[in-house]
Amino acid sequence: MWGMNAIEEEDRLDADAAKQVMRRAARMAAPFKRTVLSAIGFSAITTLGLLMGPVIVRYGIDDGIKPADSGTLRTAVIAYIIVVSIAYVSSRQQYIFINRAGEGFLRLLRIRVFGHIQKQSLAFFDRNKSGVLVARMTADIESMAELVQWGLLQFVSAALLLTFSFILLLILSWQLTIVALLVMPVIVIASRKFQRDSNAAYLDVRDNVGSNLSTLQEGITGVRVIQAYAREPEQTRRFEESNRGLFRSHLHSLRVSTWFFGLVEASGVIASALAIGIGGWLVNRGDVTVGTAIAVLLLLAQLFEPVQQLSQLYNTVQSSTAALDKLFGILDTTPDVADGELALPASGAVAVSGVGFRYPETESLVLDDVSITVANGERLAVVGATGSGKSTLAKLMARLYDPTAGTITFGGVDLRDATIGSLRQRVVVVPQEGFLFGGTIADNVRVARADASDGDVRAALDAIGALDRFEQFEEGIHTEVRERGSRLSAGERQLVSLARAALVDPAVLVLDEATSNLDPGTEVIVEHALESLMGSRTTIVVAHRLSTIRRADRIAVIDAGKLAELGTHDELLAINGRYAKLANAWASSQPN
Amino acid sequence: MTETRSDTRSDTRSRWALLRTTLATQRRNLTIATLIGLLWMCGKVAVPWLVGIGIDRGIEADDRVWLWSGLVAAAGVASGIFTAFRRYYAFREARWTETKLREQLFGHILRLHIGYHDRSQTGQLMSRSSSDLQQIQAFVVMIPITLSNLAMVISVTVILALTNPLLTVVALAPLPLVNFAGRRFSSSIHPAVQAVQQEQAELATVVEETVSGVRVIKGFGAESVQSAKLEVEADDIRRASIDAAKIRAKYLPAIELLPQIGLIGVLGVGGLQVIDGTLTLGELVSFNIYVALLVAPLRMLGMTIAWGQRAAAALKRINEVLDTVPLITDPEQPTALPTAQTGSAQTGSPQRCAPMGAVRFDRVEFGYDDDLPVLKNFNLELAAGQSIALVGGTGSGKSTVARLLIRFYDAEAGSITIDGVPIGDLALHELRRAVGVVFEDTLLFHDSVAANIAFADPAASHDAIERAARLAGAHDFIVGLPDAYETELGERGYSLSGGQRQRIAIARAILADPRILVLDDATSAVDPSKEHEIRSAMSTVMDGRTTIVIAHRPGTIALADTVALVDEGRVIATGTHDHLLATDARYREVLAAMSDADRAAAGPTGSGRS
Ligand SMILES: Nc1ncnc2c1ncn2[C@@H]1O[C@H](COP(=O)(O)OP(=O)(O)OP(=O)(O)O)[C@@H](O)[C@H]1O
Ligand SMILES: Nc1ncnc2c1ncn2[C@@H]1O[C@H](COP(=O)(O)OP(=O)(O)OP(=O)(O)O)[C@@H](O)[C@H]1O
Ligand SMILES: [Mg+2]
Ligand SMILES: [Mg+2]
Repeated sequence: MWGMNAIEEEDRLDADAAKQVMRRAARMAAPFKRTVLSAIGFSAITTLGLLMGPVIVRYGIDDGIKPADSGTLRTAVIAYIIVVSIAYVSSRQQYIFINRAGEGFLRLLRIRVFGHIQKQSLAFFDRNKSGVLVARMTADIESMAELVQWGLLQFVSAALLLTFSFILLLILSWQLTIVALLVMPVIVIASRKFQRDSNAAYLDVRDNVGSNLSTLQEGITGVRVIQAYAREPEQTRRFEESNRGLFRSHLHSLRVSTWFFGLVEASGVIASALAIGIGGWLVNRGDVTVGTAIAVLLLLAQLFEPVQQLSQLYNTVQSSTAALDKLFGILDTTPDVADGELALPASGAVAVSGVGFRYPETESLVLDDVSITVANGERLAVVGATGSGKSTLAKLMARLYDPTAGTITFGGVDLRDATIGSLRQRVVVVPQEGFLFGGTIADNVRVARADASDGDVRAALDAIGALDRFEQFEEGIHTEVRERGSRLSAGERQLVSLARAALVDPAVLVLDEATSNLDPGTEVIVEHALESLMGSRTTIVVAHRLSTIRRADRIAVIDAGKLAELGTHDELLAINGRYAKLANAWASSQPN
Repeated sequence: MTETRSDTRSDTRSRWALLRTTLATQRRNLTIATLIGLLWMCGKVAVPWLVGIGIDRGIEADDRVWLWSGLVAAAGVASGIFTAFRRYYAFREARWTETKLREQLFGHILRLHIGYHDRSQTGQLMSRSSSDLQQIQAFVVMIPITLSNLAMVISVTVILALTNPLLTVVALAPLPLVNFAGRRFSSSIHPAVQAVQQEQAELATVVEETVSGVRVIKGFGAESVQSAKLEVEADDIRRASIDAAKIRAKYLPAIELLPQIGLIGVLGVGGLQVIDGTLTLGELVSFNIYVALLVAPLRMLGMTIAWGQRAAAALKRINEVLDTVPLITDPEQPTALPTAQTGSAQTGSPQRCAPMGAVRFDRVEFGYDDDLPVLKNFNLELAAGQSIALVGGTGSGKSTVARLLIRFYDAEAGSITIDGVPIGDLALHELRRAVGVVFEDTLLFHDSVAANIAFADPAASHDAIERAARLAGAHDFIVGLPDAYETELGERGYSLSGGQRQRIAIARAILADPRILVLDDATSAVDPSKEHEIRSAMSTVMDGRTTIVIAHRPGTIALADTVALVDEGRVIATGTHDHLLATDARYREVLAAMSDADRAAAGPTGSGRS
């Protein structure tokens, strides 16, 4: 039930779509065309070299051994040595060239896809689970690495080998070619069935691997909750279920594919048997020489390996095509928060007018016709019940989403017309879900400004009054906070994410419950510090604590997505509406 | 990670012991696979011999050519059938080994103490049970296959040596080189491949961080920083991959083409022998085919050795996890918690029973790292059914108290008891069933709302779920969700607002119906107006239940009977909120600034202070 289902119907690519994907990949690989062509060239030379073996043997037998001419035999041996040496040299080159092209292509793909992912709005990240996006950037791209490293080469050389062998067979003896033709149809039909079955089975395995991994991941990240509720046996049982499902799908894929490998092996030998039978008959009729019969025998022996390789490769090609298709899918998603052209002015008022918003998967409006103008340098507090839409409004102001109705402007410029770069510089939001990355405290503060020195980081921490606290740690600001900051207390984590805001100098700062985990004593220190930092800065704070709200110039009360009240503390108390009720609730919650 | 231990011999033994015990249960099928492999080998070896005879007697002497041809075909069919079965059994057993080991690993990871999880990375543990097990699986596949390959190499060598010793030497001379090159290749490609994997893991970390922390990254406009990081990693991967490709380019063509030297030798030397009349043409051809036959098994033998080394390294890493003894375990003879007096217990409702769940911390000392004490001489006593608020500055150790109570960590000194029983004497599941903690960072599972609430008891009825949701003040918004209780939550519950998430977590704890409830800052994102409402609901929950509330807001603190002020790891004062406000300067420092402000703010509406 916790399945990730990273693999969907879209995996079942039909032939047309597959062709389209391939063509697009080829276009993308255009810069590497010369390198790829060289690789193919070298591959052709190598394959031709390998094919010369049986021909030389034939020459050795018919012209050397049969007439007992040891001179010719020596010539044959020397020719063989030369051919093998050439094959060796060109074989080395083919690996180098194909890898240079392939890895270059994958690098380009990684950078492009990642860049594109980062351009997306938050809605995209709501839709796509992090596990899936990580899988796109890792497993999906890596699945192509195999193809790049040897798959493509094997494909090219197997195909060349098959073609050349066939031509050679025809030249050597058309009668004996019939031998090959007798077995080939069986192989061709069988490999089609194999491809169909094993592809379906393979996709099933991938489904199962995906859901197994996500069960695993959720088990590990949720270990604290699981242990706290003593649910280990239950979770282990669930994992076993998914794990056994994976085993069964492996088994199924094994069952539908194994017979094919036996069939190919048997067919290879049967072809040899036919070569002996028919070959013997032809030799004795005097139609072909013994050498020719033997050369055909050896050629046929070489022919079945590439067939097997091609069938095995088929899965790799299929999964790469599917992976590419999904990656192109990402590249084709136009960010619903597109870059504008105007640079935002250095300062100005933030005007929210008639804004409505709906999350893609929610039916009802989360925000409805909200209009607020926050003057330059003003401090606005946003209050309201849980789920009323405060965080949503905060996210809209930083254009993490675009409103579905109405506009938000800064200094008169619609945020949608602004360049993302200037927007991020002017408007900074400290989100409710503060997030610490693995790394040190300093690294985490530096997320706000990558080029900040240790001194800057210290100054930022000091500005919010948290430096002393962290300096007490053995390694000070270079303390590892561990995954998601598990080394720190909840309040300490918030201090680190707040310090980020003190490191940058935006015109508008949006704080979404950024001090909710702090004790009031510490909170006051932080707020005083932020206040002095904020100076003339426009600030929007979402808060639940009266002390925070009191310091604001004006207060906006959001109720079920609507702007219910807006005004100063005193004005709102005077109208005796929702805010007055809130203030009363606070007051009465004070135990006397 | 655990301390790196030296790679002693006993360590090596224990490492393989894990694989051996797992494989022991599969002995029968592995034997079958090996036997099938031997039959396959017989078929394979017969083919070149029959081809040789076929050429000599059938073609050259024109004697019953179809008989020989038929025999070759029969041998081919046999080896085809056996090859399929060998493959099937080998892979099936390997997958089974992988499956069993993965279950063992997962079960163990879930039982490991939280101190271990603090220090380990999710990604690392994930790769233990994915890529490391993959390598072990690849090795197990090779066991039956290698055994039959080995048998084939030996029998072919014997057959060839018996037919023509000189030609055997010529033909087989390059083959050990193939084996050697195969081994060299595997051992030098291994570090290169590992380097690539390392770089890939680093890239994955950048992507994972970026995606999970996207709200922060976008909030600060740090996209270009992440892109730069990614480009560095992408470049590194390319470099490492091309290094690996160079190694492949060096060895693979050699491995591919070395056998050709044997074939050339056979043609040259064998050809002269045929001219001399000491060798038949058929024998020459069958030599040729035999040499070709040996190439694949020999190449594989070399690789099997390397695979074995790789599997050993993977086993070592897996053992590091499995060998980590969970530090927090059940006592050998668990004591049961005393139950309520049976006299009034018939009704089953906790309110009617004599309240249970007295908690006592007695001179508890604890630190996460040895030299940094967090709790120092921590004393706290809580009568059954009583509630207490823990108040203290950030980092003073409040959450640590909650973690010690459910034995996420064990105290270094002092004792913690529940109803007089030291928590170390309780079975872990009983302890954790008795204490329900709502953590400060809410983690919800990617599952339905109902399943998240019913986490402690998946069999809970819908009514029970709804009751818990109502008490937590969550019912109202849940029915407004698209599929109400069946709505699937996003990852970590991110499709809900912060306060909504917290309420689901509270409902989860209420449903578990613990003897002792711990709310760790569980209402920080719940708005005060609602808090007011929740308060009456919570009083129902807290009535007769021992409750520890960790809170910063007066409204929440007011839920509790008494307040304990925690500072620098010890309780420095207890009393009622008003009493502490009046008498304790530190308490005022932690809260007072706010109370003043609150009062000033609330002043005009007339809530007076005495
Ligand atoms: N990513 C999302 N996808 C779908 N719905 C969402 C998403 N985030 C929030 N919601 C819904 O939108 C509504 C408003 O959420 P929002 O986070 O803005 O509330 P809030 O006012 O900040 O509440 P809180 O005080 O609890 O933080 C809620 O009903 C919530 O369930
Ligand atoms: N897993 C850990 N490893 C090492 N040190 C830790 C760990 N968790 C917390 N600490 C440290 O122990 C101290 C107490 O942390 P704790 O989480 O108990 O504080 P708290 O009182 O709950 O604070 P807050 O109000 O901020 O939640 C802090 O200084 C913190 O840095
Ligand atoms: Mg919010
Ligand atoms: Mg805490």
